[in-house]
Amino acid sequence: MKEKDNRFISEEGRALMLGNEAVVRGCLEAGVSYAAQYPGTPTSDIGETFHQILREQPHLKEYLVHHWAINEAVASSECAGAAWTGCRVLNPMKHVGLNVASDALSVIALNGPNPGAMVILVGADPGSLGSHQEQNERFYTWMFHFPCFEPHTPQECKDYTKLAFELSEKFDTVVEIRTSTRSAHSRGYVELGPIKNGSSKGKFERNIPKYNSLPPHAINNHVRLYERIEKIRQEIPNLGINKLILGENTTGIITSGMPFGYTMEALNQLDLNDVPVLKLGMIYPLNYNEITDFLEGLDKVIIIEELEPFLEVKVSEIAQKHKINVEIIGEEYFQKYNEYSTGLVAKSLANIFSRTPSQQMKNAIEYFNSYKELIPSRFPTFCAGCPERATLYSILKATNHLENTVVCGDIGCFVMSFFPPQECSDLIICMSGGLSAAIGMSEKTDQRVIAFIGDSTFLHTGMSPLAEAANYDSNVLLFIFENSWTAMTGHQPVLGLTERKLSIEKICEAIGVRWLRVEDSYHPKHLTNSIEKALETDGLKVIIIRRECALQAHRWRTQQIRKLEQDGNKVQEVLYHITGCQMCYECARILSCPAIRKTEVDGMETMQIDEDRCIKCGVCYEICPNSGIHKSIIDALETEVPFREL
Amino acid sequence: MNYKETDILNIVIAGTAGQGVITLKRLIEFAAQKANADLILGSEMHGLAQREGAITSHTRYQKKAFDDPRKNLQSPLICYGDADLYICLEPVEALRRGIFSSDKTTFVLNERTIPGVMITADLEEYPSLGRIGKILKANAESVFFMNATQLALDNFNDNQQLNIVMLGFAIATGKLPFIEMEHYEEVIKEWLRDPDMNIEALHLGLEKGKVIISKSN
Repeated sequence: MKEKDNRFISEEGRALMLGNEAVVRGCLEAGVSYAAQYPGTPTSDIGETFHQILREQPHLKEYLVHHWAINEAVASSECAGAAWTGCRVLNPMKHVGLNVASDALSVIALNGPNPGAMVILVGADPGSLGSHQEQNERFYTWMFHFPCFEPHTPQECKDYTKLAFELSEKFDTVVEIRTSTRSAHSRGYVELGPIKNGSSKGKFERNIPKYNSLPPHAINNHVRLYERIEKIRQEIPNLGINKLILGENTTGIITSGMPFGYTMEALNQLDLNDVPVLKLGMIYPLNYNEITDFLEGLDKVIIIEELEPFLEVKVSEIAQKHKINVEIIGEEYFQKYNEYSTGLVAKSLANIFSRTPSQQMKNAIEYFNSYKELIPSRFPTFCAGCPERATLYSILKATNHLENTVVCGDIGCFVMSFFPPQECSDLIICMSGGLSAAIGMSEKTDQRVIAFIGDSTFLHTGMSPLAEAANYDSNVLLFIFENSWTAMTGHQPVLGLTERKLSIEKICEAIGVRWLRVEDSYHPKHLTNSIEKALETDGLKVIIIRRECALQAHRWRTQQIRKLEQDGNKVQEVLYHITGCQMCYECARILSCPAIRKTEVDGMETMQIDEDRCIKCGVCYEICPNSGIHKSIIDALETEVPFREL
Repeated sequence: MNYKETDILNIVIAGTAGQGVITLKRLIEFAAQKANADLILGSEMHGLAQREGAITSHTRYQKKAFDDPRKNLQSPLICYGDADLYICLEPVEALRRGIFSSDKTTFVLNERTIPGVMITADLEEYPSLGRIGKILKANAESVFFMNATQLALDNFNDNQQLNIVMLGFAIATGKLPFIEMEHYEEVIKEWLRDPDMNIEALHLGLEKGKVIISKSN
């Protein structure tokens, strides 16, 4: 295995990269010296790639800083602060992260990032592939005047990143690159160029009108923002990013980003290779001449874009204002939800052009539909040994399966609480929305109200609603899952907590939480008992579940065991196994651990533990009502390697 | 099967979280680069799907590009019915992603099932391997099974080797044309820990795979 990833060192040739890796590569070539972000799919791996590069090439630390920020608004403002000393900064976020960052960005856009440059990288998620919802956040580009690039391939991810920094610097404008889950996580060739070191230190020059967007400067900066965006509009044709693919047909297509690929393959499949296509590399602002030149002479233009019509509205506006008589269609034929695919685009195009979709595709869909009912569901769920799963077990036991109880869920691995068989979450809003909803709900119902929050979310936006709940002594039982990692997005550190520099317990005390317990869900009977007590008590109660994420804990323990064994030590081994199973389903339906499976032994149904998947948390052993799960210790006299204590 | 250099090869890789779907996909892509393929595009899934969920990746390559770019590979996602090869690390995942198969498609499947919590809770039913094979065969060129997890455990005492065993199995079908064994070996040496074991696993999968395929012909 190579010690260093040459794709971030080499300055020539081509490399295979994911879209996100190509963005980072573009940053290296553009001389970026600061990046900050809160993790969120599909942008988390941008930060991980920066960290990998800094680990493998530590000399770059002089020029390049990457921060995992506490939330998206903080990340945007810290990026602006760095830019105002004169450097180039990247600020990645997922689509809902832009909602959080928007308050800061609305002002940063007015001020402008000069003397530095600032690029925001927004990872959209049509199809909700890694998010709790889908939204068309492209409208922010319109609202805040962010010039916005939409790459299709990893090569474009890199090229547009470099261009975005040039534009941002030249026009004193925050520039956006909009990827999607598909483009961020697609791999393809990228041509490598020379790498440029960023600046090590700059200087902030005082400029009160520019950096204080309050009256009267707020209006002046708004006027200046219009001027900047108009200059960029004129500049677009010189950038060479909007591509015209010629054709004789009098119906044309305007598209951008991932739908471009689906469109081209669909046209080829339908034998419609005479349809002219305008591929927009920049979706805001639009250059009027480029659009009108394309529209002139066409009878009909199809706009192919995922989610709410954005380009369709803008192109229709241009056609109307320039009095071009062309029919513009899109939303009548293309669904405005979920992500697109070649098949979906081909079906709609076949409809518009009165063609027959390919027989191969038709058969495939029909045959799949004939058996799809047989496919058992497989939704994401908690890993084997997850302390959150074990907590849900105790909640179900303590509340007699949520009798007269509402559970306000939140963002984190425990978003999956709502899935069967546990079905232990009644609502989800947003980061720390669960606790906030619980405050209101508890005033207006006599039902028992439980809320969830994760440690990373608690620091992101959760302290504020907790302070409010403490102030009103809201009748809510809050669980804070302190597993020490931002686990759902791939185990980024929880700022301050992973290194034990701060204490959530002490923050709760300082906020004024009077009923506070720290529990370990690996002791389900004790936890169940505490929950029962909490629910008998009026006012705000907080239970901190302190137990490391099972994936990380298991990795750590496996490493320790390997080290000990390499040094010639013997290590004791714990095994759990099932005999005399009564098939009561306590472990399968209420705990529902994925390391347990149903099988048959000598014609008798029994549960069985998959040894290679079990991480030996011991929770099933504790809860089996029939004492059918047994623990044995091999080499009991040898060294014991327990999980790491937090 | 004789592939032309301009053919677009479409591979679906399906499994569950933690089985090594993404690693397997990357190995094919980097090996296709070693084989000098003109075009490579693939899509993988990160994030929410990583928790015991169903994982699919698409990867596509084209050894030689057409002069007319409109005919070339342009999207990382495969169209319905257009898959040449499925590599399924978990058998029922082949059905879940079955919409990409047609009479040109070859399936290689690992026999080891991962039932999922709804099966264990007795709230849903897992179809038998025989039934899965029968359903797939009705709309495929061929369907082959191997107990790759067991082979990985027996030979390497490590179920994590199953994805490399399955890659060897996939190579044996001939549905990954223009990429040579040495390309995979080079890539394994560059990207994986313990390359010797992985290369051994690759060859084990290839040899066992050849036997399985020749028996069924």
